[in-house]
Amino acid sequence: MHHSFNYMSLVADAVIIIVLVAFILSAFRDLARIGTGISRAWAVGRIAFIEAWHNRMWAIPIVWLVICLILGFTIVRGYTPGSEVRVYLTIFIRAQEIILLLYLGILACLSLPRERERKTLITTGSKPVTRLELLLGKIIGLGAAALVMLLAMMLCTWIFMKVVDHRIRSDAMAMYKTEKDHYDALARHVPPDFGLLYTAKHGVLQAQNYITGTLRIAGLISYLHNPPIRYMKGGSTEKVYFEFPSIPANVNYQPDFLFRFRLLPLGHPAKIHITAIQRDNPMLTEEATVKLNASGEAAWTPKHPFRFFSYTDPQTGKVFNPGPVVLRVSCPTFHVYLQIGDGTSLSNASCIVTGVNAAMLHQHGIDYILPKPTPIITGFKSNGWQEITGPGKTGRTPPEVASWEFAHLNPLNIPTDKGDKFTVHLICGVSKETNEAIPTWVALVAYSRDDPSNPVKMLQLHINEKRVTDVHLPRRLLDGSPLIINLSSIVHGHWLKIRTNSVRIMQKPSTFIGNLFKTELIVFCEVILLITIGVVSGTALGWPVALLTTLSCYVLGNLFHFVSELAKANGFELLNVVQMHRLQGVWYYQLGSFVSGVMVHVLEILVYLLPNFTRFSPLPYITASRNMPWLFLAQNIFAAIISIIPAIAFGYIVMRRRELS
Amino acid sequence: MVASGLAILTRQLTKIYPGFWKSQQVAALTDLNLAVERSQIFGLLGPNGSGKTTTIKLLLGLINPTAGDALVMGKPAGDQDTRRVIGYLPEESYLYRFLNARQTLDFYARLFNMNRAQRRRAVDYYLDFVGLDPAVRSRRIGTYSKGQARRVALAQALLNNPDLVIMDEPTSGLDPVGMLEIKNMIVRLKEAGKTVLLSSHQLADVEDVCDRLVILYRGRVEIQGTLNELLEVKDTFQLEARGVTPEIQAQLMEIAQRNGLTDVRTGRPRVRLEDIFKNLVDSKRTTERRKG
Ligand SMILES: Nc1ncnc2c1ncn2[C@@H]1O[C@H](COP(=O)(O)OP(=O)(O)OP(=O)(O)O)[C@@H](O)[C@H]1O
Ligand SMILES: [Mg+2]
Repeated sequence: MHHSFNYMSLVADAVIIIVLVAFILSAFRDLARIGTGISRAWAVGRIAFIEAWHNRMWAIPIVWLVICLILGFTIVRGYTPGSEVRVYLTIFIRAQEIILLLYLGILACLSLPRERERKTLITTGSKPVTRLELLLGKIIGLGAAALVMLLAMMLCTWIFMKVVDHRIRSDAMAMYKTEKDHYDALARHVPPDFGLLYTAKHGVLQAQNYITGTLRIAGLISYLHNPPIRYMKGGSTEKVYFEFPSIPANVNYQPDFLFRFRLLPLGHPAKIHITAIQRDNPMLTEEATVKLNASGEAAWTPKHPFRFFSYTDPQTGKVFNPGPVVLRVSCPTFHVYLQIGDGTSLSNASCIVTGVNAAMLHQHGIDYILPKPTPIITGFKSNGWQEITGPGKTGRTPPEVASWEFAHLNPLNIPTDKGDKFTVHLICGVSKETNEAIPTWVALVAYSRDDPSNPVKMLQLHINEKRVTDVHLPRRLLDGSPLIINLSSIVHGHWLKIRTNSVRIMQKPSTFIGNLFKTELIVFCEVILLITIGVVSGTALGWPVALLTTLSCYVLGNLFHFVSELAKANGFELLNVVQMHRLQGVWYYQLGSFVSGVMVHVLEILVYLLPNFTRFSPLPYITASRNMPWLFLAQNIFAAIISIIPAIAFGYIVMRRRELS
Repeated sequence: MVASGLAILTRQLTKIYPGFWKSQQVAALTDLNLAVERSQIFGLLGPNGSGKTTTIKLLLGLINPTAGDALVMGKPAGDQDTRRVIGYLPEESYLYRFLNARQTLDFYARLFNMNRAQRRRAVDYYLDFVGLDPAVRSRRIGTYSKGQARRVALAQALLNNPDLVIMDEPTSGLDPVGMLEIKNMIVRLKEAGKTVLLSSHQLADVEDVCDRLVILYRGRVEIQGTLNELLEVKDTFQLEARGVTPEIQAQLMEIAQRNGLTDVRTGRPRVRLEDIFKNLVDSKRTTERRKG
């Protein structure tokens, strides 16, 4: 599959630019009037708002609240406090989105056609109001209606969540008291769950603003070296990923992959399992298991080189380039550790490509290709979580280590307490294979990457499953180089379930109402975009067709990723690789493939032309951590504006010469 | 510039409403040449479907001409700035059903960029002016009677104190008192130096107020001129006097031939506009019927 620059998005951009230029050329007289025009547009908007009100806009928040309460009380049964809040927020905000999109989308589609049908456009059109102002006015009016409804619904959500929060806090406090009383009375040997105290004090609504790092897993980390050396653990689910750019080859030169691992213990016999994957087409793979020799080396040549190397067809001169290649390597041999080099130079790369073609040698003076530096190691993965094991029973086998790297930290954004310490939160899941009665303890090591000799070590931290553990680290770690935080379980049989944000550097918390408001603003961006599309569809079409058009825009806008991925994979051919190879050359297959290819590309242009509705997804933030980063809000507002302006331009061009009666 | 003296000037103004097939096309207006001077009351007459409303919509730029062009107050039809000095009363009262009279007028006043005080003054003044019952002013227009809605529509046409008022059948739906008020109002507008373009089926009213008129038939101008020109019977002479006894009557004829008498009014007899209109439509229809 030829991976190349995306021309379809370019076509779409070109169309949008042409529309904008045509708009500016044709509308400059109307645009020059926009100074006084804004107040006329606002006058039109007021009427649109009053019309919405007479269309029972006030009933929408009530209907919404009833639906949410019914859904909430039937669905939310037996959830933990954290997920209970998550579910409520999901229901409340998702329902707002759906109801507003439906209601205002319909009103927007109706607004201009209905005025045309009732002929009120004749009276209004005889006044000194431009068509641009009419268009803007409708959008402004319905936008204001959306805002009013959103604010009403936000207020209801806030009150409801406050009540839930209050209940959760008092429950947590009561539970903590009981646990503490039992502990004090020696009836319980596990100390009371301080996570409960945390919940009781802060509630579950306060937004956690934090910085996340990049997570890497290592079977073992040796701090004796600078930078510390990472090992992959044999016999575990750990995998290391080496990514190479496009690898050139030709008929005479066939590259190999060369693996060089330092083994621990030295000279122990070991095997590695290799899976080669086309990065942009992950269904095309090849697997192999090879033995490492005594010095930990092995060479491997793929059986289907054309899947991974770029070739030039000697007859046609056409280049066949499969794009970047990823090698996923795991080690099935128990009791060994494979040292993973950083790959910044030939001597410390654990996997390289050798024997590349002469042109490359000529150009760069080298005959090997290095992978992307610092290859990623992952542990056992399930549902977005990774698991790292605790130490072996006897303590001979060390635990796996999860390592977070926080680059580009700005100390000004990170508050410190009186002792000049900043706060890091740990939130991990725990699965206990053995030692169920023992609380989970973890070891935490933090250091600057450029200064690993001066780490902060907390070798016995008590954590509770899925509850926050506060860790206070000295401020000096924030200065300069990236901060590394390594975490491992120190209890045999206790596995830690982690993900990227399991270790987070805390910033100032923000209030729930503020973050809720920001969330509503994102919903508003989405709604006003749909309103614009609806009003614009109504400029030229009757309301049934306008409704259909708007709906199609919304659906296609939500299929953005699906369609662009489909087009990247050359349509449906991806779905059946075997058939494709068998049928290549049969004329009806060729024809069908051509037609489907054209259709997919037309769809792709359309998808790039229409606004991408997948961008507006406020839920993950507000449900996971009750916050809404300014950056995300800004991105959404920007995306909305970027889509609204061409839509208005298009609507204006359509409406400019249209008769109003 | 010649056009600057005229309120309205059209040249070969033509409108063909498009249809999917040629047979569905409607030639609503053909080669209309109009010249309306300022401070005139101009009548636009014609039977149903003759193109009066089409002409007015073309003048306002609500629809686009198929051919020809129109100048309104010296600018091309539909110009945003000239709309500031135009008032338009549509043939039916196309108003927002969900607004009340005040909100409606307030909305249109906003479109003229009036400030709050101006708006309040204008709204109250014109609602009184058109005589809308104060009891209904804050009720939704959807609930109004036809005449009440007509009065609101009239108020919105006058709201900006326009120099050119275009009225499409202003008296339709009004009670006799309302019709009389409208007639007086039109005369007063003229006295205040405004131009009025009027389309109406109330020929008696048109006869009373208009200075000039055209009669359209199937989109073409059939008759056009000042009221006097049209209604005069040109080949006849008429003499009128008070206190004339039969003896004097005989003498008068003699004397009148030699010297002028006091209080003697002479002139040409007038037909009624109704007769002209009826004759035109009748003759057109008979020729059409004869042609088949
Ligand atoms: N939107 C339209 N599409 C097609 N034909 C139209 C349209 N509007 C008007 N017509 C036709 O154009 C012709 C002139 O219509 P117009 O409304 O101008 O007549 P009018 O003189 O105002 O009649 P009336 O006295 O009944 O108001 C009529 O034959 C009418 O059917
Ligand atoms: Mg008419």
